[in-house]
Amino acid sequence: MSPLRSADFGIDSDCIGAPESPSSSLRRRIGGRFPIDQFGFDPMLADLVTPLMRAVVRVEVEGAERIPAVGPAVLVANRGLGVWEPTALGVAVGRALDRRLRVVGAPDVPFLGGLVRRLGAVHSSPEDLGACLRAGHLVAVPLAPTWLGRGAGSPPLDLCAAMMGFTVFPVAVIPGGPLGTPILPWKVRIGPRIALDDSYAPGDPLGAAELGEVLRQAVEGMLAGEVPADPQQTTAGRAVRP
Amino acid sequence: MTRMRVLVTGMGGELGTRVAQLLEASTDVDEIAGVDFVPPRRRLRRAEFHRIDPKNRERLVAFVQDYAPTVIAHFGVYEPAARMGPAAAAERTELCTVAALSAAARAGSLEYVVARSGLEVYGRRVGVASVPDEAVPPAPGSPYGETLLRVEAMAAGMGRRQGIPVGALRYAPIVGSHVPSPLGRLLRLPAVPVSAFSDPPFSLLHPADAAEAMVSAIALRVDGPLNIVGPGAASPWQAVRLGGRVPVPVAPPLWGWASRVVELAGAAIAPHVVELLRYGRTGSGGRAAEVLGMSDVRPTQQVLQDLYEWAQVVPLVGGAEAVA
Repeated sequence: MSPLRSADFGIDSDCIGAPESPSSSLRRRIGGRFPIDQFGFDPMLADLVTPLMRAVVRVEVEGAERIPAVGPAVLVANRGLGVWEPTALGVAVGRALDRRLRVVGAPDVPFLGGLVRRLGAVHSSPEDLGACLRAGHLVAVPLAPTWLGRGAGSPPLDLCAAMMGFTVFPVAVIPGGPLGTPILPWKVRIGPRIALDDSYAPGDPLGAAELGEVLRQAVEGMLAGEVPADPQQTTAGRAVRP
Repeated sequence: MTRMRVLVTGMGGELGTRVAQLLEASTDVDEIAGVDFVPPRRRLRRAEFHRIDPKNRERLVAFVQDYAPTVIAHFGVYEPAARMGPAAAAERTELCTVAALSAAARAGSLEYVVARSGLEVYGRRVGVASVPDEAVPPAPGSPYGETLLRVEAMAAGMGRRQGIPVGALRYAPIVGSHVPSPLGRLLRLPAVPVSAFSDPPFSLLHPADAAEAMVSAIALRVDGPLNIVGPGAASPWQAVRLGGRVPVPVAPPLWGWASRVVELAGAAIAPHVVELLRYGRTGSGGRAAEVLGMSDVRPTQQVLQDLYEWAQVVPLVGGAEAVA
């Protein structure tokens, strides 16, 4: 079957592809020959804007080798009041792994909500996060926003419950310049995998709270300049070998 | 061992006929009988069809009680604007559900019921999951969604009283060349109304996958609701352009007018179709893939391409004269 007749129109939903020429892209858009997933993500549109994002947001990445090249995983990161941190994280993951990043937190408002979903945002509900992970995507879950982006905010407990059983990494996104100004490149530091011990059932509220707290502490530590321990894997309350 | 006697309500519809054909091929099924107000769409070799309109309650009850099914595949759920208007569809659905389920329960042989439902039961509103799984509480936003939820509730209530498992298959919208679906008909119009301010994703399901899910649910005696959704999605603007049609943007206050114009053009649309065009309709099909083992459900874009390719049938020029 021709790529333009297949269900995904020859565009990978997980790996970033090279943008097509403007004339080819326009023909595809007019002809409706582009894929959309259940979350509203439009990989062809994302490929078109990726070079622009990379030009505007410069990043330096540490620890990207910890993220799996395929399959589901969650990156729990700090954020300020804007969209810079999720954007910097998306650029960092794209540069290091060529993987697309879905970011939880699409606003449920007309037009703007639809637009950010086209670029990879996912509705902030545990059901959508669970569905996204079961579909094998790499998902970023922001901690609660903090004033001027300082420190790690509180963890979203309902989302922590949905990510139990999946591979989870704490991530610190550190602005390059004062107040997040793009004077210097952003630093994206990816910590070692965090896992709960096996005694918690999926969705257990206490387990979710423990996971959230361990993630918050890990992000806080990396924001403060701590170098995350590796290759050890951290569990809620104690560290064990993988 | 009890002989498996399956009753397929709504056997005259595309799905009912397909399910009957699949059941005919199964050696585990001893007898198949079906009822509907229209005859089946294909030749059935082993299944017995009884043309009974659900409005004829006494006849339907008498037949079901006499047949005493052990399994009911309940397709007597009629979509508004598919083959009849919204009021008639809701009335026939309710009559068929009540008569078939209560008569089968009274007959005393019933072991399992699986009902056709749809993602319409979830509705779409601000703040709830956009890709709901079965754990999300249903909150329909259209009369058809409410009808489907009522069917599920009636079947589940009967199952509790009888102490038998009851499944509900919440299908994504089913379109196909032979499915009388208001959405499929709308998408094949030369110009299609779409939302001016949103372009939300929706999923589609191929009728063959829908039928296969029903037969698997019967074989496995699946209890509770299951979303039957394939991978991927489409959006109204993208789907319309893929079919080479013209999208006509409609602002929210004008949807009532748009519905009337579209109906005059030959494709009546019901509120659940407008809801899909404005807010989208998808669901998480992970549990069904796990429980039913259905890993190769056709993606939405393939279902869409099949729908448009079928529309390009070239009529035989001079066919009428040749016959004459």
